[in-house]
Amino acid sequence: MSRHRALFCGLLSFLAMPLLWAQSASNSELPPGPIQAKATTACTECHEARIIVQQRLSKAAWTKEVDKMIKWGALVEPQDHDPLIDYLSANFGVDKEDYVADRTRAKEKNPKK
Amino acid sequence: MISRRDFLISSSAAALAVAAAPPLLAWAADSSLAIPGKEGMIVRSYRFFDLETPVEYFNTWLTPAEHFFVRNHMHEPSAIDPATWKVTIGGEVEKPYELSLAELSKLESHSVVNTLECAGNGRAFQRPKVPGVQWQKGGVSTGRFAGPRLRDLLDRAGVKPTGKHVMFRGLDEVPGKVPPFVRSIPIDKALNDDTLIATHLNGAPLPKHNGFPARALTPGWIGAASCKWLTEIKVLDKEFEGNFMSPGYRMPNQPVKPGEATKPEDTHPATALNVKSAISNPADGSSVHSHVQIQGVAWAGEADVTKVEISVDGGSSWLPAQLGKDKARFAWRMFSLQWKAPNPGDYVIMSRATDSQGRTQPTAPVWNPSGYLNNAIDQVRIHVQA
Repeated sequence: MSRHRALFCGLLSFLAMPLLWAQSASNSELPPGPIQAKATTACTECHEARIIVQQRLSKAAWTKEVDKMIKWGALVEPQDHDPLIDYLSANFGVDKEDYVADRTRAKEKNPKK
Repeated sequence: MISRRDFLISSSAAALAVAAAPPLLAWAADSSLAIPGKEGMIVRSYRFFDLETPVEYFNTWLTPAEHFFVRNHMHEPSAIDPATWKVTIGGEVEKPYELSLAELSKLESHSVVNTLECAGNGRAFQRPKVPGVQWQKGGVSTGRFAGPRLRDLLDRAGVKPTGKHVMFRGLDEVPGKVPPFVRSIPIDKALNDDTLIATHLNGAPLPKHNGFPARALTPGWIGAASCKWLTEIKVLDKEFEGNFMSPGYRMPNQPVKPGEATKPEDTHPATALNVKSAISNPADGSSVHSHVQIQGVAWAGEADVTKVEISVDGGSSWLPAQLGKDKARFAWRMFSLQWKAPNPGDYVIMSRATDSQGRTQPTAPVWNPSGYLNNAIDQVRIHVQA
């Protein structure tokens, strides 16, 4: 490995940190939008945002999911039903880029004594 | 191989980055999620836990507990007191009774090495995509489970001739109006020698995330058949009717076109696992030297893996892999193949398993509305360096 390449790798790691932050934050929070607050209340009462953020579904599939969740107790006012489906379809539609998952912390291999 | 000098240069570069960015590194230290007892796992969901085993941990026959995948449908029990925990055995039996953990532990224990796989493992590769936890390759692990036979518990109760199915209920905490996670298995499978009420995994008490203090172990079947945090065993005169039996965990009776819906009457419960393989080395997207140790694991539910083949040319030709010496009826086999790349460049490495029932992995996922039991040939893309 050349000195330049090593320095480049170090710099790349440094520059990548904000990107990693953006990815991690976006996994655990629903994105901004007209119905973000209501979506957060309705959905994350029972489960966290990740289970939504990782989906890539058509509007028809989101409609089916929202209706199932309402049946299972999600509190969605009738006037919020269609905007919620639009919001989920727009942010987590089939054309969105692949989801990148977080990891749990790994045990330190050689902990200092 | 990285020389000592290269290592020192790399370390210096890393040190430079560290010195320049203390606030960001402070964040970086917290970027991974701490889940005691579950190390380096892919987080599909944090609340409730759905944790996928990264394929690099498929490098041992038995998956260590800290890398054993976790699939929860709802919240884990907030508190379990081993001193007061009990499991009831009832329904279509002559003498219903209950057992404490101490009483359960006194029963004759049996050990079964089982590859446990979530029915939805590989769902993320279905096209069109389907809703659900987007498992990729690691909703599967292998462990040595131990505990009394379910049959011994049922024999003590005396199953009536009307007993056709055995239902399991766990202590999962149900959010909202979500139906409870309750399922049943047919009486024949329940009375099988290898179906256990497991209290141990790899020689230690079950971790909480994997069902402490006791779980059903229905070997060779989808993970959903092995209910965790068991609290009730009930013999029924028919299959349990509930969301996680129907419409959940059902397969179409006939192949369906991708994107097509199925009628409930044209489906059956998902039970035994498919024949399947996963490559653990080399890593997908990695850049490697010309001598490559290709390795992975292959499993087949209630059947035996009879061969694993490797392709290094995108599936045009296949080479036999060597199967590992460790084997058990319901457990995966490790496989390996030493391969020398003829030239530098990009390669697609594929693995394809065949089993004792004559089943071979399909080239592409067989689509179904819930994305269950995807067992398409595995593949990784690598770059071989000059």
